[in-house]
Amino acid sequence: MGSLTAKARASSSVSSVRGRARRHLLVALLGFLTLAFVGLLTMMFGAVNLSIGEAMRGLVTSSDSFSGLVVGQVRFPRFLDAIMVGGSLGVAGAMLQGVTRNPLGDPTIFGLTAAAGLASATAISLDPQIPQWGIALACMVGGLIGAGILFVVAYRGAVSPVRLALAGVALSALFGAITVALLASVRTFIQTTLGFLAGGLYGSDFSDLHSILPYALPGLVAAFVLSGRLNILSLGDEIATGLGVLADRTRLAVLVVAGILTASAVAVAGLVGFVGLLSPHVARYLVGSDHRYLIPASALVGAIIVASADLVAKLVIMPSEIPMGVITAALGAPFLLYLVRFKV
Amino acid sequence: MQLSAEHLSLRYNGEDIVHDISLDLEGGELVAIVGPNGSGKTTLLRGLARLLKPTGGYVLLDGKEIRSISSRGVARNLAVLPQEHPEEVDITVSELVWRGRAPHQGVFQRATSADHEAVVWALEAADVRYLASRSLGSLSGGERQRAWIALALAQQPRVLLLDEPTSFLDVQHQVEVMALLSRLNTEGMTIIAVLHDLSLAGRFMRRVIGMSDGRVAFDGIPREVLRPEALQAVFRVPMVILEDPETGLPVPLPRDPGAMLKD
Repeated sequence: MGSLTAKARASSSVSSVRGRARRHLLVALLGFLTLAFVGLLTMMFGAVNLSIGEAMRGLVTSSDSFSGLVVGQVRFPRFLDAIMVGGSLGVAGAMLQGVTRNPLGDPTIFGLTAAAGLASATAISLDPQIPQWGIALACMVGGLIGAGILFVVAYRGAVSPVRLALAGVALSALFGAITVALLASVRTFIQTTLGFLAGGLYGSDFSDLHSILPYALPGLVAAFVLSGRLNILSLGDEIATGLGVLADRTRLAVLVVAGILTASAVAVAGLVGFVGLLSPHVARYLVGSDHRYLIPASALVGAIIVASADLVAKLVIMPSEIPMGVITAALGAPFLLYLVRFKV
Repeated sequence: MQLSAEHLSLRYNGEDIVHDISLDLEGGELVAIVGPNGSGKTTLLRGLARLLKPTGGYVLLDGKEIRSISSRGVARNLAVLPQEHPEEVDITVSELVWRGRAPHQGVFQRATSADHEAVVWALEAADVRYLASRSLGSLSGGERQRAWIALALAQQPRVLLLDEPTSFLDVQHQVEVMALLSRLNTEGMTIIAVLHDLSLAGRFMRRVIGMSDGRVAFDGIPREVLRPEALQAVFRVPMVILEDPETGLPVPLPRDPGAMLKD
């Protein structure tokens, strides 16, 4: 009797895709609403506070009015930057956690952030007047070098999570030290340097967005394309090969895409930590471990985290602002401790 | 669908394991590969399934060099189930089995009714449909093994390679898995399984290949090749062959050392 009802239930669960789809739709809807809400607050509050009406008007009208200038030229582009930074980091983290089967997979812990950051600092110290697109390009080179190092360390199945994290910590320390040395030797504006090291969106605008879109958008699309293969790869290298997914090639592709996305984030916001670590875990809690849903969900969660952190960063010590990365670290570090204590 | 090895040599973990093996496995065969630990049977299976790159010779699938066919193309015809599966995979049985459709699906393609039918068939054939919504982590060893077999079946392969599909299973589940393989075989699927248990090989398989030191020591139908001298040479243990009173099939057993002293 019991097994009969179990079997009856199971016959519907073969295509339980429909029930899941409804849940995913709900998560997406709530996610976008949250992001829109954070966006609205971002348009309203800052050095000057606007009413909802002024903020909305500023968004739709051109920059000839005061609110149009504040919202259209400053707050809205910075909000879009936050979305791209958070989305890129969230996806990079989800891919790294998937490909290394390591819950600590994260661009910062694996040294990708530091590699892109070093490239950025090198470019700035070589040419302090370097345009934003030049910084973005340098970050891409750095991110790809970081991905290459990670591939060599993580090459071929026998990826030990401990070995990867240790190598990442070593690389981060090395690259980070050189970065600080470089920045200290160049007398750039102190707030910019601090914002870069701690991670922040101070003064970022449309030119930042334009400089990374050519990399970040294809990167996000590639991440989505690779999501099915990540699912297969999570079954182990041999089973993946048996299913026609070449494990090493997929790993390389994933690391390259993660490198590009991390570099995109670093080019705009500097060394933002913990977003790549945090977002996939929240997303997994919401939509499960299927990468076809996990990757878009991580993008959404990452975007919400960075946009919220940036809003808080602007408001806590007004009229000055603290680097947004301080907020994400304040959120991320306790979460990391929680993971280490209860989940890993 | 024919699978053959031509002068196949394979290396695993830097060691030459399989030496110059040539084999023809015809469509519809039911084959056991047996041999002691380290004889190269798992490595041979990996080689046949293109999981290892040969150091010499080649593997042919329907007369075509297997490495010249795209890996996805091979996966539409040939499925392989390694002995060990990652423990940390915690998805539902249904999700796992759906992934077996990957070789048949494009990146942006939605699941077709053919995919759905294949998944349902695989779940039913492996008798795990009633477990479809359960997570892998919550299953017993036998249930989990059947779920992984269902994954391979969802590929709708014409050739199925399995590495010790009955290890870690109790007698009932061993027999169930072997019966499933027999049934799939009568429906036309070529089955090649590495087996540790010689009595299962003798009872259920129609051809037994014995491996020793990376070479084929014997190859033929169970009744002819499962003989004391041949098994003794391969396993290096004195063997005695009983006859199943019901089927007349050979049941190899290691001899009792105590009894041998009286010889």
